[in-house]
Amino acid sequence: MKWSLPALAALLLFYPFILTGPFYWDIGVAFLLAAISASAWNIVGGYAGQVSVGHSMFFGVGAYTPLLFYHLWGLPPVAGVPAGMLVSLALAVAIGMPTFRLQGHYFSMATIAVAELIRIFVGTWDLVGAAIGLQGPAVGRAWWDLTFRSELPYYYIFLAVLAVVLYTTFEVERSRFGYYLRAIKAGERAARSLGVPVRATKLKALMLSAVFTSVAGSLYSIKTGFIDPESGFGILVSVQMVIVAALGGAATLFGPLIGALLLVPLQTATNTWFGGGGSGLTYILYGGIIVLLARFEPGGMHEWWQHVAPRLMRRSHAA
Amino acid sequence: MLLSAQNISKAFGSFLAVRGADLAVAEGEIIGLIGPNGAGKSTFFNCLAGDTVPTTGRVLFDGIDVTRASAEAHARAGIGRTFQVPATFEDMTVLENVMVGAFLRHHHRGAARETALRIVEMTGLTRQSAQRARSLGTPGRKRLEIARVLATGPRLMLLDEALAGLTPTELQQAIALVRRIHELGITLVIVEHIMEVIMTLAQRVLVFNQGHVIAHGKPREVVANEAVIEAYLGRGHRRRRREAS
Repeated sequence: MKWSLPALAALLLFYPFILTGPFYWDIGVAFLLAAISASAWNIVGGYAGQVSVGHSMFFGVGAYTPLLFYHLWGLPPVAGVPAGMLVSLALAVAIGMPTFRLQGHYFSMATIAVAELIRIFVGTWDLVGAAIGLQGPAVGRAWWDLTFRSELPYYYIFLAVLAVVLYTTFEVERSRFGYYLRAIKAGERAARSLGVPVRATKLKALMLSAVFTSVAGSLYSIKTGFIDPESGFGILVSVQMVIVAALGGAATLFGPLIGALLLVPLQTATNTWFGGGGSGLTYILYGGIIVLLARFEPGGMHEWWQHVAPRLMRRSHAA
Repeated sequence: MLLSAQNISKAFGSFLAVRGADLAVAEGEIIGLIGPNGAGKSTFFNCLAGDTVPTTGRVLFDGIDVTRASAEAHARAGIGRTFQVPATFEDMTVLENVMVGAFLRHHHRGAARETALRIVEMTGLTRQSAQRARSLGTPGRKRLEIARVLATGPRLMLLDEALAGLTPTELQQAIALVRRIHELGITLVIVEHIMEVIMTLAQRVLVFNQGHVIAHGKPREVVANEAVIEAYLGRGHRRRRREAS
């Protein structure tokens, strides 16, 4: 087990040299983006148990801001990333203060409602391109426009961001803040009785999660050079974060990675098999995964492995 | 007085669960709260713990008004509580559960862990410290609740039926644990149905019935009080006993 972390790091580092070519690199980038987004969601949705289904609001803000900076002032899109983080932070405070009065499904529904309102608003706001959206520089003016022909530079930029998100999550897990998040998830009333500042802790978690989700959105729009209301603020963006984290194992460090590792190739395969004819298939796929998880393993693949691994070990020892 | 609750009433709609109850607890005392089911003792207890804001009256802790303070503020002030139905953090280990409490006074993980380990040992949970709370039985959960509160460094502990559902042997061990906690200088208010616990531990007892405090005094005096016997056994209990004999 002690070699699993260096092995995973080596695998991610050398993946583009193991599976070469744009097709596999594209899958690698999509995997990293899904893992970053789900890991960011995991801080508030997994550890604190506050199941936000409206995280697309932060992803969308992060995605729009870099291209807006380019569109309005001709600045390199990357200059808009910190602004996206700040706006997401402010949005997290504005949304978190009232919605954290709600619990369970009510909180989830409130986050969906806010994200949908923002999507509709952005879709009619001319400054941000309304329903058409925004475009980045078609051809890079310099390296800082981050418009690369190859997927490879994006792969390593995304990998570096994932490393930062995972390291932060690892530190959160071990800190007082992380213990408080898990206590809140297990029982707010009991946590409060032990002196846990419940609302402040949840708000802090949402702020941290929003910042990282915003960065994920920025990476997406800088790489694709385009953003519209559906790909930035659409409900599927939020649902994908939830599914990836839940599939792998919410409230675990590597759960979102496992989820992304399973879901992204599956999505790519279904898109390849069905092409444009399977446009609604993603919803069916997500729905199927939710049903299977709820029925067989609500703790996700991480929990499943925790059950299976000891049995396999016993069997191999017996043999 | 360490804790002083004055003229506490709590209404839920038109129903008055507690009616003008008073309680004064001196530092180092053990007070028992008893009464039949639905007597209002848990509601009164929740008012003391900051879980419920009383409709009238006020609660002073060490001279400071904490009537409207949150449950977190109560914990910070030094009032710890357990729950009637153990509210352990099921997916966390025993040690992690206790560490959540210890983090109130220790911001760093190492210091919190050290305190938690000491308390886990004191409460007899060392063997189970790496187990998830969900794997514990009733006695283990009750101990864990007590350990978690102890880790917050309380001056006053409110125990809500913390010893209910234990076998006679477990009960004796739990009584010994409560005694050890008291020896640490912690003041205790105990809500309990088991008279053995009250008679053994409490220095003074308050009896609740229909929201009122109907009797208070030393345990031996209170159990002999006619109003208390009537509250538990109903009117006409002497006649019924005569008829039965």
